[in-house]
Amino acid sequence: MSTESSSVIALTESQARDLFEKEFVPHMDAMYNFALRLTNDEDDAHDLVQDTCMRAFRFIGSFEPGTYAKAWLFRILKNNFINDYRKKSRGPTKVEFEWVEQSFAGDDDPEPAFQADLQAETVNEMLGDEITSAIQALPVDFRMIIILCDLEEFSYEEMAKILNIPIGTVRSRLHRARTMLKETLAVYAAKRGYKTDMLSA
Amino acid sequence: MKSNCSHQSDCLKLIQRILDKEASAEDEARFLVNKELCSPCQKGYELELALRQALKSKCTSTCPANLIESIRSKISSVLLLILLLIPLFCWFI
Repeated sequence: MSTESSSVIALTESQARDLFEKEFVPHMDAMYNFALRLTNDEDDAHDLVQDTCMRAFRFIGSFEPGTYAKAWLFRILKNNFINDYRKKSRGPTKVEFEWVEQSFAGDDDPEPAFQADLQAETVNEMLGDEITSAIQALPVDFRMIIILCDLEEFSYEEMAKILNIPIGTVRSRLHRARTMLKETLAVYAAKRGYKTDMLSA
Repeated sequence: MKSNCSHQSDCLKLIQRILDKEASAEDEARFLVNKELCSPCQKGYELELALRQALKSKCTSTCPANLIESIRSKISSVLLLILLLIPLFCWFI
């Protein structure tokens, strides 16, 4: 008998149901939102969350009660997305953002600097669609890390475990992702006539 | 107040670490003093904060109730299948 089957069998029916309600359900909104941002499609997000929960349930024996279930579930979701959904997920549709990805295609970490032509007031005035479009325009690895950090507030150490990368890579990828996001929003701001400002010479 | 910052790269990294709750209390206190004296650092801090707030308020969505129900139903089916298979498995061995 396989390990995953035996781990489910080791639980009584009521224990399994309790575990689902207590450890999975509180994180469903966050998981669905993460899946939606990754796949760009409601049906794919639905399937991805469902597959993730069933996979987590099969491997419930590897979950240590008392530890942070959210990080464990997000790691399974990320792996599930990479293995089964990444190829068919909808990528950025706006050709206008292609330059953003091209300009960050190298492996070197660019020296971060203050965004010259974007200010807090401009971001506050932006509509939800503009913010979500800018997030969706990011390459998936960068989109993933921004959501994990800025929306879900995982620590660098938790993100390193979820993404299976060193903490140094978490830091540099976050810098790059945020720089790209600001560049994208600055393009929006300029095109749509939002007020812009020079923060630095 | 300074209108130019000669340590933009380091300051931006520190701002992000502070907002990510990954900076030491000492570094954070040092930056907060500097922020009051440096206009680019102040604006940079406000921009990073605004971005996080915008993401939180505009990039969230709620899991459809039918998805949670569908997962509950699938889990019930798996548990039922296991309950049926255990006696069968025992009977075979």
